Amino acid sequence: MLINKRLILAHFWLAFAVFGVALVLGAWQMFVRSPLNAWHFNPELYYRSVTAHGSIMGYVFPTLVAMGFGYAITESALEKPLIGRRWAWAGFWLVAVGAVVAMVPVSLGWASVLYTFYPPMVGNPLYYIGVVLVVVGSWIWVALMSINLAAWKRDNPDKPVPLAMFANVAGSYLWGWTAVGAALEIIFQILPVALGLRSTIDAGLARVFFSWTLHAIVYFWLIPTYIAYYSIFPRAIGGRLYSDAMARISFILFVVVAMPIGVHHLFTDPQVGAGFKFMHSVFTGLVALPTLLTVFTICASAEIASRLRGGRGAFGWVSALPWQNPIMLATAFSLVMLGFGGAGGLINMSYQLDASIHNTQWITGHFHLIFGGAIVIMYFAIAYDLWPHLTGRALESFGLMRTQLWLWFIGMIVTTFPWHYVGILGMPRRMAFYDYSNAAVSPQAFSVTMSAVGGFILLISGVLFLTVLIRGQWAASSEAGAYRFSVPLHMPARIPAALNSFGLWLALMIGLTVVNYGYPIAQLMVLKETNVPAVYVGAGR
Amino acid sequence: MSDQKLFSLRNPWFSTSVGVTVVIAVLATLAGLIWLPLAQPDLKLSGIWDAICSAAGVPRASSQAGSVQADFKTSDVVMTSEMLTRPSQVSIGRGATLAQRCAICHGPQGVSDANSPNLAGQFAAVTYKELNDFKTGARVNVIMTPFAVNMTNQDMLDVAAYYSYLPRVPRSHADAKIPAPLIVTTGAPMRNIAPCGSCHGDIDTKAGSPWLGGQSAVYIKAQLHAFASGTRRNDISQQMRNIARQMTAEEIDQVAHYYEAQP
Amino acid sequence: MTTEADHGIGEAVAARIERRWVTLSIVIVGLLVGMATYIGIHQATMPQGHVETADPKTLHLSGEFVESNLGSALETDGSVTVRAIGQQYSFTPQCVVVPSDTPVKLRATSADVVHGLLIEGTNINTMLVPGYVSELPVRFRTTGDFVMPCQEFCGVGHQGMWGKVRVVDQAEFQKLAAARRRLTCVD
Repeated sequence: MLINKRLILAHFWLAFAVFGVALVLGAWQMFVRSPLNAWHFNPELYYRSVTAHGSIMGYVFPTLVAMGFGYAITESALEKPLIGRRWAWAGFWLVAVGAVVAMVPVSLGWASVLYTFYPPMVGNPLYYIGVVLVVVGSWIWVALMSINLAAWKRDNPDKPVPLAMFANVAGSYLWGWTAVGAALEIIFQILPVALGLRSTIDAGLARVFFSWTLHAIVYFWLIPTYIAYYSIFPRAIGGRLYSDAMARISFILFVVVAMPIGVHHLFTDPQVGAGFKFMHSVFTGLVALPTLLTVFTICASAEIASRLRGGRGAFGWVSALPWQNPIMLATAFSLVMLGFGGAGGLINMSYQLDASIHNTQWITGHFHLIFGGAIVIMYFAIAYDLWPHLTGRALESFGLMRTQLWLWFIGMIVTTFPWHYVGILGMPRRMAFYDYSNAAVSPQAFSVTMSAVGGFILLISGVLFLTVLIRGQWAASSEAGAYRFSVPLHMPARIPAALNSFGLWLALMIGLTVVNYGYPIAQLMVLKETNVPAVYVGAGR
Repeated sequence: MSDQKLFSLRNPWFSTSVGVTVVIAVLATLAGLIWLPLAQPDLKLSGIWDAICSAAGVPRASSQAGSVQADFKTSDVVMTSEMLTRPSQVSIGRGATLAQRCAICHGPQGVSDANSPNLAGQFAAVTYKELNDFKTGARVNVIMTPFAVNMTNQDMLDVAAYYSYLPRVPRSHADAKIPAPLIVTTGAPMRNIAPCGSCHGDIDTKAGSPWLGGQSAVYIKAQLHAFASGTRRNDISQQMRNIARQMTAEEIDQVAHYYEAQP
Repeated sequence: MTTEADHGIGEAVAARIERRWVTLSIVIVGLLVGMATYIGIHQATMPQGHVETADPKTLHLSGEFVESNLGSALETDGSVTVRAIGQQYSFTPQCVVVPSDTPVKLRATSADVVHGLLIEGTNINTMLVPGYVSELPVRFRTTGDFVMPCQEFCGVGHQGMWGKVRVVDQAEFQKLAAARRRLTCVD
């Protein structure tokens, strides 16, 4: 039974509100740097927009979704009110205030450093302080997840932790640890310089700290999506989850292996040794494993539901699935985009193949497909599924939901597929303007235009999404009942301690972080001669 | 729930997971730090320890041997972003006194009637650098060189501080209606020309790039041509020569007249 | 109606199918990593072998990256070393000239912020981080002109940072090298 509905709704409403703003910025960015735009504008506006768009979409939006969904799971799966309600609200306000504190200087053009804020470029300190506040707010959520689980385990010794909660806490621990990298970079390197206490900074070390966060953060974004795959989808389509144990193993694998692989973002960087690049490459290969397991389990779960509805044949059962159900549609679209995005990820993970597309538009296309596509479409599904339980009103416009999801899927394909293509052609990323009249750039013009059109389709889909939710405010009251999760096909009464707790996995996560990051970080910290002068950005200094 | 302890070698979950993790980590480390570096002949490693150190990323300073030296003087100044942005009142005062000599050409308020550059309101780092370059010979000018040669480092800092403190006076040529030419707003990326304002302060500031607004068009034009032909070479690592040599004469003209009309 | 026995059989079947998939997945991942390792040794490019430092503030004062030492240098063993710096908002040399079919070592660093460079039409791609020297062994198979944009956000003028690479045949390069010690194709 959901008790703290206002808390959860606050997180989701703020998340989708900032998402809407960032979506508009994103569509503008796609348009303004495409051949469709003839207006010669101040390039700083573009970089300002990219900073805002990236910071919101990367740091604020998914964090709020994970937090809100996490509180909902805690109350529903553990069937008791959230412990630490006041702290949860404090966390929410920290995130909200942090987002505002960060976005004010960005909007004024004082911190156009992009959401990756690669020093020695340094902007206004309020931007970084805002980001820190957001992270601290989310760490309150991490602590609450742990505390709530511990209390439940004390009251329910020897019982299996409900899968949704297990995965939720796994995600929170992963986030808690991965955020440390960027936090170290901001607090100990960037803020002293931004505040004028120091004037030099080691750019290489900063990039290593940031890479600690940069990869695993995408798994933090991914976990709510995977929770939806495992815990919502089978139930929503009237089926059972194929395997509970395999689900737990997948989330455990994410906790252990998502972390120590960030250096694959630094393959072409000169400050990290080739040996560590290889080690990170090996573990990056391993992180494909939980996704392969998940795809199998979810497809198998879908098959169960289909055959229960009378689906026949080796492949014919697919047509017997409840395609009218928005959750079915969203999950199917998500898996398709996950397939393509994941394949792209396998390319990025190999040093040799990465060399061709590093920092080209392929990279931007890749993470929009996998995050904006596969992950975010499930955020929509989560919202559609959870909303009636939070608002006490039914969401009625199933047709509109389906249209919204179709448009998101089509829009994402139209946006990202040409985007990958121009990356292969070598188009560099993060430029406010391209001279499409030049022979070197003109072959890319048509694809960039297509991506811009895709951006507008996504914008329409985003508007429809918000429309569905807002219209729900005026719908008739309807009692949605308790929020339930999927039930596995075979649920053992007892499961091994290893699949019911986190001590071992956290130890491995931290241990691997030390092995894979310890020396590179220590070496660069000790090196004094690579502290380079800060370059302050933002006119008005 | 199994009542077996989790952290015990007898627990198969523990032993398998830790075992597999350790094995993979050890193999990856051995391969990455020893096998792969030694398998690449062009790395010229002197043994296993050298291989491990190189692959781990133990840093070395880059070698200086055999560098070709220039047969002309280049700028000696080290530019950083925050250089001279906060001059003291004492420095400005001293600079005011010293600047009386400069007023003949550069005007009593740092705004010149001749085509010497206006110095009023110029970034202190810029003025300091140019004086330095005149003194060392990185930049040569028949009139400026003798002045600069006699200045001490503190003199140059003070004069620069003083001029940065003076207000930029709107010029008689100010004309807000001149539309910004494309070369200024957009540059010409494929010719490696960024918008001028990216460095020169209208959009953002790069240390050492002078503020151009209100500057004499004749002066701007002359400097751009000097950079383009290579006659002027005190731009560190060719950063202005790279741009100027790609500009057409017409674009240089447009830029000069546009900036003269700006505040 | 399923009985306890049926349930047990079903569970065993499900577990068996799952184990097969897990094995297959592990094999797939192993193959991918193994392929990358093998190709890395035998055929393709590898990350740079050493970490080297250089002070961006004084690049123009002394050392390897002074202005007059930048450009393409013919070494005694017939290979070519290209030295370049990236700065806001151009590469120096703005136009890099190299011979085809010759081992070329590209050495570059940044004079200010993080830049990157890629040469379109090739897989030559590296970051330039101030404080560190990037080194890349490359080889151009065909002659021609290529563009070399900066691929990392380096400030408000990033979109203007496009350099050029000109690949000439070996004979022509030798002729150029006879006249000057450091070559560029800047006008």
